[in-house]
Amino acid sequence: MSTFTLDPHHVSIDIFDNFRADLDDYNDRRERLIKASRDITNLSKKTIFLLHRIAQGSHDPNEDSHVLAKKAAQEGYAKLREIQTLYSHLRPELGGDKFWRYQRQVSPGLQEYIEALSFAHYLDHGTLITFDEVQHTLMDAQGVFFPLTISDYVLGLSDLTGELMRFAISGIARRGGRKKAQDVCTFVRGCKADFERMTPYIRELKKKQSVTSQSLEKIEDAAYTIMVRTSEYDLSPEMLDDIVTQSISSYIGTGRQPSRRGRGDRMSDDEDEDI
Amino acid sequence: MDPNELDKIIDLLDRDVELREKIKDQVTLLDKKTRTTIGILNRIHSTPSEAMPALIESVQPTLLSYREVISTLVEIIPENQFWRWKDMWTNSIRTAVFAAVLIEYLSNRTLLSLAQTAEILGIEEKWGDRLALPVEDYLQGLITVVNELSRLAVNAVTMGNFEEPIKISLFVKDLFTGFSMLNLKNDLLRRRFDSLKYDIKKIEEVVYDVSLRKLAPAPGSSGIPKVHS
Repeated sequence: MSTFTLDPHHVSIDIFDNFRADLDDYNDRRERLIKASRDITNLSKKTIFLLHRIAQGSHDPNEDSHVLAKKAAQEGYAKLREIQTLYSHLRPELGGDKFWRYQRQVSPGLQEYIEALSFAHYLDHGTLITFDEVQHTLMDAQGVFFPLTISDYVLGLSDLTGELMRFAISGIARRGGRKKAQDVCTFVRGCKADFERMTPYIRELKKKQSVTSQSLEKIEDAAYTIMVRTSEYDLSPEMLDDIVTQSISSYIGTGRQPSRRGRGDRMSDDEDEDI
Repeated sequence: MDPNELDKIIDLLDRDVELREKIKDQVTLLDKKTRTTIGILNRIHSTPSEAMPALIESVQPTLLSYREVISTLVEIIPENQFWRWKDMWTNSIRTAVFAAVLIEYLSNRTLLSLAQTAEILGIEEKWGDRLALPVEDYLQGLITVVNELSRLAVNAVTMGNFEEPIKISLFVKDLFTGFSMLNLKNDLLRRRFDSLKYDIKKIEEVVYDVSLRKLAPAPGSSGIPKVHS
């Protein structure tokens, strides 16, 4: 009968120590980046609320919406710098080939950041922020600390349309609000057309495009209503604004209670849109 | 969007599509080659032990033919973008790891290390950020080897080779000990690790049957593992 001798250990268990260290490093870094991404998402959402709040102004309907938009953008930029600082700290976590390894973990926060940044940029300039401009906010004297991908850039911008819809509709009753809604409408329509060309390349974009379509429709409906109602009066838009302003200020004069309720309504509308 | 900016972005997206196509071509080639190897390796379940060396001999060249494809593939991957495209060939590489590790086990009864596996596949260390053999893919390959060996334990007995299950049992238990040293997250690797116990159970049952019926040769001093009842 044949006998066989076996070394009881044909497997060197030590190598698994190295594997453990490798996997632990990956998992720990992954967790840290997910957390950082969540923090960035949070800050970005706060920035977006801040932008809406300031751009909408107070109850005084005479405030110039253009000035308000610029003011909102400035305060927004300041808040966004906090996020840029967070990103600069991620430099060592994402150097070399690590960026693409963890891209899926950092992508959600980045898209939210781009949404906030592009909203501030729109309020400031009335245009779409370019790829290079976004990348520029994520670099310092030593170079890029967070590489921007095309898909995150486009997906972030795609979310902007929803914010613009909210911005246009909540400001529609203000002086110049109707003109503003028209501008936003044209702008969002342009975005949608541009993004359409990119849908075959970016998987998640298709779903976002349908959300953009819904946003666009809401703005279009609002613009339509304004057109119909304005046509009933043979007056210039400015004079119509004046009539509305007068009736609002006389209303505010009678006490604060009703106006506060009015504001609450508006906020709950906003929340509905968020879903 | 500014028309120039739009064109620039579409252009960049187009380039990624081109790159993806090129990678896909190479992966298709690699898959063709791994399928050849796996086709031959399927025969281990019906090959008597004395014919095994010849079978292993015949499969070796296919294993070394991956190098050619892999060296073309690495040329396509841009610097630092290994992880961006890796998903496209993960399955192929895991199959290749499986083949290399299984062949080494059948030839020498030893575990092919990660570095040795990378060498056989022709993956060079200096490629790091463009192409590498990550720990996870290696470990996934090992688990597939265990899956395969649990089948082999059964089929070897059918062919009258009663020693094989015992050798397999020792090897697989060592691997299991190794895997137990890892802090696994609730991911695919963890789920596949959890499935190892069924393979081990299957192998143990074969060892149990063979030992109780005294079909296996008399054990060496420490050769026979304890039998779980």
